[in-house]
Amino acid sequence: MQTVIKTEGLSKTYTNTAVPVHALKDISLEFKEGEFTAIVGPSGSGKTTFLNVIGGLDKPTKGKVVIDDVDIATMKESQLFDFRLRHIGFVFQAYNLIPVLTAIENVSFIMLLQKKPKKEMEARAREMLEQVGLSDKLHERPSRLSGGQQQRVAVARALASKPDFVLADEPTANLDTKSAFNLLDIMARLNKEENITLIFSTHDQRVIDRARRVITLVDGAVDKDEHIDKD
Amino acid sequence: MLLILAWRNLWRNSRRTLITVSSVLFAFMLATALISFARGFQQQMIETMVRQETGYLQIQDAQYFDQPSLDHTLEYGDEVRQALEAHQDEIEYTVPRIQGFSLAAKGMSTRPALVTGILPQREDKLRKLSANMVEGELFSDRDESAVIGEGLAGLLGLSVGDTLILIGQGYQAMTATGKFRIGGIISFAIPERNNTAVYLPLERAQWYFVAENRLTNLIIMPKDTEHIGPLANDLQSMLDREWYSVAVWEELMPDVMGIIQMQDTVYTGIAWVFYIIVGFGIFGTVLTMFYERMQEFGILLSVGMKRRLLSAVGMLETIMIGIMGIVAGALVSLPIVYLFQRFPIRFSGEMANYVLQFGVEPIFPFILDAQIFLTQAVSIFSITLFIGVITTIKIMRINIQEAVRNE
Repeated sequence: MQTVIKTEGLSKTYTNTAVPVHALKDISLEFKEGEFTAIVGPSGSGKTTFLNVIGGLDKPTKGKVVIDDVDIATMKESQLFDFRLRHIGFVFQAYNLIPVLTAIENVSFIMLLQKKPKKEMEARAREMLEQVGLSDKLHERPSRLSGGQQQRVAVARALASKPDFVLADEPTANLDTKSAFNLLDIMARLNKEENITLIFSTHDQRVIDRARRVITLVDGAVDKDEHIDKD
Repeated sequence: MLLILAWRNLWRNSRRTLITVSSVLFAFMLATALISFARGFQQQMIETMVRQETGYLQIQDAQYFDQPSLDHTLEYGDEVRQALEAHQDEIEYTVPRIQGFSLAAKGMSTRPALVTGILPQREDKLRKLSANMVEGELFSDRDESAVIGEGLAGLLGLSVGDTLILIGQGYQAMTATGKFRIGGIISFAIPERNNTAVYLPLERAQWYFVAENRLTNLIIMPKDTEHIGPLANDLQSMLDREWYSVAVWEELMPDVMGIIQMQDTVYTGIAWVFYIIVGFGIFGTVLTMFYERMQEFGILLSVGMKRRLLSAVGMLETIMIGIMGIVAGALVSLPIVYLFQRFPIRFSGEMANYVLQFGVEPIFPFILDAQIFLTQAVSIFSITLFIGVITTIKIMRINIQEAVRNE
């Protein structure tokens, strides 16, 4: 399998605090195409920082993040915007849909920024909303959807533009068990069908149980990296 | 999509947006009404002053403006006549005058008098002198009698039929003396004029001043009062600059222009107070909208929306508030200004008396002028743009991670 993301000696230290905080310490990892990975660890272990750095939202203090043979740590902000738009899908904890757009408009939004043709964009958005079981909610605004439904729209949005990988920061944290399982089923299925690499930060055992790889961070360093054979 | 996004964002909190738009509407309406009234007032003042004093254009002796004396009168000869004939299609009529100070006397009493020689029919056309006659009649062109101000008549104890004696200096230091039968008494609202005015038929006045065929001012009333500059230039080009000067009313009445400029400054200042208050209103709304959506902005930037696109949405939202306010303001202001143009404000009581002192009728129609609306629109739009730029700068400076964590 092809390597999608590779980190080499990744470190991040926050110096704008009274005492420097070493959020990430010398992390070297590889993520292969189609992997379903959970980044786990206690609060403050560096999960979100790790996702931010590999997602190009934050710069490492040291080390490399190589995606598609490019070290994104050396990219300018304007290049990173484009890079994120073309290569990465994001799912956030608090759904974070645009409240004034309907479900189908939310899903189309990233493709719109990518300047995809309108017909292709609409067809893909419909397809993704069908995939997440919301074909009857295409024209509903987020305020009329439940938390679980909103998060499914967020997943559809993240996957619609066919990114190289999807970063999900605690996507099930605000969901009840039924909605969480439903979402995880959908994500697992899309991971298989679309062969998209999924990387979650989570301390939700329900997510960890579904993952085929679990990386445990403790105090900013990799404590364990386990590959779990689900077959 | 950006337009749709901006438009829908505005209606997330429709009440707040409506209040902000209303504040723009009221500022626009108040500013427009204020300026329309001010312009109406000024136009009334200009109209009155132009008619009573200077006319729109004047031909004078080249030195008369700086040294207004009978020694600097102009000869109403062929050169002037030819220039006027060449532009007769643009000129409605002319009003010749000769004017100088003298002493008016009756018995042992003397008073200073401003003696003006006029062609009564032309003068009447300009400023309706006959309407102000309180006793007797305005003389005819060939008459020999005089008309004096009511105040002067009172001060000297003169009435219609009495003899007025004038003593003064004529053209080139000649002695000017004359006896004139008083044919009428005229009243003016301006006390200074009422106490000094003496009118004589033009030829009699020229005889009195020993200035045959000479004028101090030749007033020109053009057909098109909006474009007097080109006519003045054309006339001047046909007249020898060494002897003749063609001046427009703005040059002839620098005091009035000063008052108008001062009023403009005051009214524009007041309008800007409205704008600034409204500007703070819009700024408050936009700022609240900005901070309320900080997390959303962070998410949009995270997923790859470029800062300039997000800034464009912010800018569009601000501009839309401004445009809605301006359009609503114009729609509300238009009938109000139109109404007060058709049915002008009439001052009464002391206010009316005060205005009348200056010979200005206490009726003030609003001016319905697209330029006024346009100026207010551009001013408010500029403020809106400025606020939009501030929003844009704030969006450009968003820290994505902090914004995403913002709840």
